[in-house]
Amino acid sequence: MQWAVIFKKEMVEYARNVKWIWVPMVFLLFGIMDQITTYYLPKILESVGGMPEGAELNIPIPDPPAALYMSISEFNMLGVMVIALISMGLIAGELKSGVYELVLSKPVKYSNYITAKWAGLSLLVLSSVFLGYLGGWYYVNILYGELAFSTFIVSFLIYTMYILFFITISVFVNTLVKNPGLVLFLSIALLIAITIITRIFGHILSWSPGHLSSYVNEYLHTGTMTGDMWATMATTLAIIVLLLFTAVTILKNKEL
Amino acid sequence: MSLIEVKNLSKSFDGEDVVKGITFELTPGKCVALLGPNGAGKTTTLRMLAGFSKPTNGTITFDEQSLSSDIRNYIGYLPQFPVFHNWMSGKEFLIYVGQLSHLSKSEADSRADELLDRVGLTDAKKQRIGKYSGGMKQRLGIAQAMMNRPKLIMLDEPVSALDPIGRREVLNLMREIKKDATILFSTHILNDAEEISDELLLLHHGELVEQGSLDELGNLYDSGKIILAFQDNIPADMEEKLNKLSHITDIEFKKQSIEFISSDVIASRAEILQLAVQNDWPLTKFEIAKTTLEDLFMKVVNQ
Repeated sequence: MQWAVIFKKEMVEYARNVKWIWVPMVFLLFGIMDQITTYYLPKILESVGGMPEGAELNIPIPDPPAALYMSISEFNMLGVMVIALISMGLIAGELKSGVYELVLSKPVKYSNYITAKWAGLSLLVLSSVFLGYLGGWYYVNILYGELAFSTFIVSFLIYTMYILFFITISVFVNTLVKNPGLVLFLSIALLIAITIITRIFGHILSWSPGHLSSYVNEYLHTGTMTGDMWATMATTLAIIVLLLFTAVTILKNKEL
Repeated sequence: MSLIEVKNLSKSFDGEDVVKGITFELTPGKCVALLGPNGAGKTTTLRMLAGFSKPTNGTITFDEQSLSSDIRNYIGYLPQFPVFHNWMSGKEFLIYVGQLSHLSKSEADSRADELLDRVGLTDAKKQRIGKYSGGMKQRLGIAQAMMNRPKLIMLDEPVSALDPIGRREVLNLMREIKKDATILFSTHILNDAEEISDELLLLHHGELVEQGSLDELGNLYDSGKIILAFQDNIPADMEEKLNKLSHITDIEFKKQSIEFISSDVIASRAEILQLAVQNDWPLTKFEIAKTTLEDLFMKVVNQ
């Protein structure tokens, strides 16, 4: 009941400040731009000219899985920035502005407060990522060749874990520091750190969430879920739960 | 029976003691002013009662706490600078905090209408809070503190930032609320405390230096102060004449008046009025001063 009240308030807020419009639009753009530009670039260069006489353009056209993965690459670079941007004030903003004094002086359970906000943000971001990824898949089918819808869906589900993981990091950092700018920086820094550590110690950390996007790539090409993929998803889920739990504990004991 | 019992409450930030072991009780139905100069620890005390700040030491006990461990069920809190979700309308915000306090949607709706009417915001209830004036926000703040029908309403400097009209509105509102709940409000403005509070808690440098009703405190500090004012300048032989009288101490000369303390006000009155007639003093005023809150405040603060 109380959880639903907070969740609904988040949804209304995202509607009023038009996040429900611009976030999906931005992700749609990220999702389709590479497929379109890669496909049309040779034609554009040809018609614009400026190429030396006799030079031949030989840009390899990627196969459908690689073409779809271009969307994921964009999400990993630019999408993550956008996610960090919209989540940086989720809790820290309320703590900083002072709205929390009115909200948290009511008998609000801290676990409701954090998880409802987390769920609201996740719904917004995942819907947007799905829309962008769907757009990417659409153009892959038109321009690069057929790719099964089921493959698209399963790869999205794997990637969902990665997005949720990043959202959770950001929510967690939100309870650590009050400054939204610092939240932005720390969330991205943490994600980069995890990615680098996973890359260096990949052979030991085979279940690190840092592998998730390469697993998306692997799955797109092979079409099979490996044991490592399942294990990594389970590990990620466990880390998400743990981070949320820690965030609740931190906020509960925080000197506000 | 007391509504809330505070025992030996203290708080330090980074080794600095902001509140130093204060003990008090609040009686149900009273309006209590937490009075003190800036930096006395008023806000910190209220924030501890509201649960935002953990006491370094001491206990806070609600008499009904046995019902539930969350004291926030019984309190309404208005911070000094309330910040709302500015994108919401006044009514939406009240319904939101009402539902957070476990009211059903329809209960919250009717309670919101009732309170909006009471704080005079019915006409503005559909307006975005971002467009409200300072006084309107303060009144909405009081309404939100009352949504869950709290036993104790805590208001942090509710009128200090308002213009005279806004201040009057809020004070009248507080007088109204007194019928339903115990009020604890902080202020550094003596008039406000004097005007609506039944009891005072005088806080200074984190210590509770005095507490009691206004009358009790007045008697306690009844100074026996007498003020004489003169039409022109003070007659030259005044000091000499006054010094001859017994009971009189602490003579203080001002431009056109003299203030002094008498240990026996009745006797001094007879003597001085007699002297005034005999010497034809150009008196314009003879006053046995009642201790004002300001005197009390200054006395306590300067100790």
